[in-house]
Amino acid sequence: MFSTHLKSLLGAAALAVASTSQTAIASTAGNVIEIKGEIIDTWCYFSGVMGDTDATRGSAHHTCALWCAAGGIPVGVRTDDGDVYMVLKFKGEDALEQTDTIMEVQSDFITARGVHYKRDGLNYIVVEDVVANDGITYLSHEDYDSVPPFSAPKKPKK
Amino acid sequence: MLHKLATAAAVAALVLATSVTAGAADFSEGSKAKAWNLYGEEKALFSGKVVDILCELSGDCPANCGDGNRQLGIVRDADSKLILVMKNRQSSFNGAAEDLLPYCNQKVDVDGLMVGEDEVVKAKFFQVQLIRPQGEGKFKKATQWTKAWKAKNPDAKGKGPWFRRDPRVLKQLAADGHFGLGVDYDQQYLAENE
Repeated sequence: MFSTHLKSLLGAAALAVASTSQTAIASTAGNVIEIKGEIIDTWCYFSGVMGDTDATRGSAHHTCALWCAAGGIPVGVRTDDGDVYMVLKFKGEDALEQTDTIMEVQSDFITARGVHYKRDGLNYIVVEDVVANDGITYLSHEDYDSVPPFSAPKKPKK
Repeated sequence: MLHKLATAAAVAALVLATSVTAGAADFSEGSKAKAWNLYGEEKALFSGKVVDILCELSGDCPANCGDGNRQLGIVRDADSKLILVMKNRQSSFNGAAEDLLPYCNQKVDVDGLMVGEDEVVKAKFFQVQLIRPQGEGKFKKATQWTKAWKAKNPDAKGKGPWFRRDPRVLKQLAADGHFGLGVDYDQQYLAENE
């Protein structure tokens, strides 16, 4: 006969295994959300390859963000609390498709409505509508100039 | 005897569950990835299935993983985690979709760097440097992006790297300037920084 202690242990084990398999394997059902945040270049932001996280967003990093978006690097929406939603589709278009919509909003602070998914610690969003666009609100070039420096405007060659 | 076996099985299940959820597994053994000195960088050699991330999450599954128009990832064999592959091996602002696409819904071995993870976003991303079909032959360098760009942009002639000639980038710079604050601001910046 199993003791009460052993029954509890087996129950906890079964619950842990079930919980683990759900979080690790099962797809997450999407839910509609509205978020406010800045469109960012996620590679430079998370990797630190161009500098710290404040330098790799806003106006200082605008040209580099264009390069990365055109290069197919995931675009994200960074909320004021530092959470980032990886954009999988934007206003009905595929994120990597050769359209300009995703280019036009780089570094802008937007209010987006869309379908949210979460898996393995990451937030993903399919942006179905841009409810508001405040443009570029983080004037990071005032502190950081152009990041990276070779993304600064150049005089045309004569 | 039965009591001891059941106890051992329960403890083993708890340990297994804890190790999977903790996500602290070390995949660096055998990796030949080059270091980039990035935030949270860890070398990682692992196997898994290439997936269209939106398909994996939602069931919205176009043919051939979206033909390069979707962000792709890898569901890692060891722990069934969905790994977002953010970057390829090239150093000029290139994503990874072109390097993963030939292996859509197939098993691969990949070598590269797990990167990132901050106080808010508790997850790392992958930079793929080497890829091959699972268990088969030599690894191939993940450097397909610029070849694909050249094929898509035959009219983008001239010298310099792709990002100086890309029509979508040039169009946006002409419209909003380098800081996104207008072309007049660019002129002001140039005048002040002569």
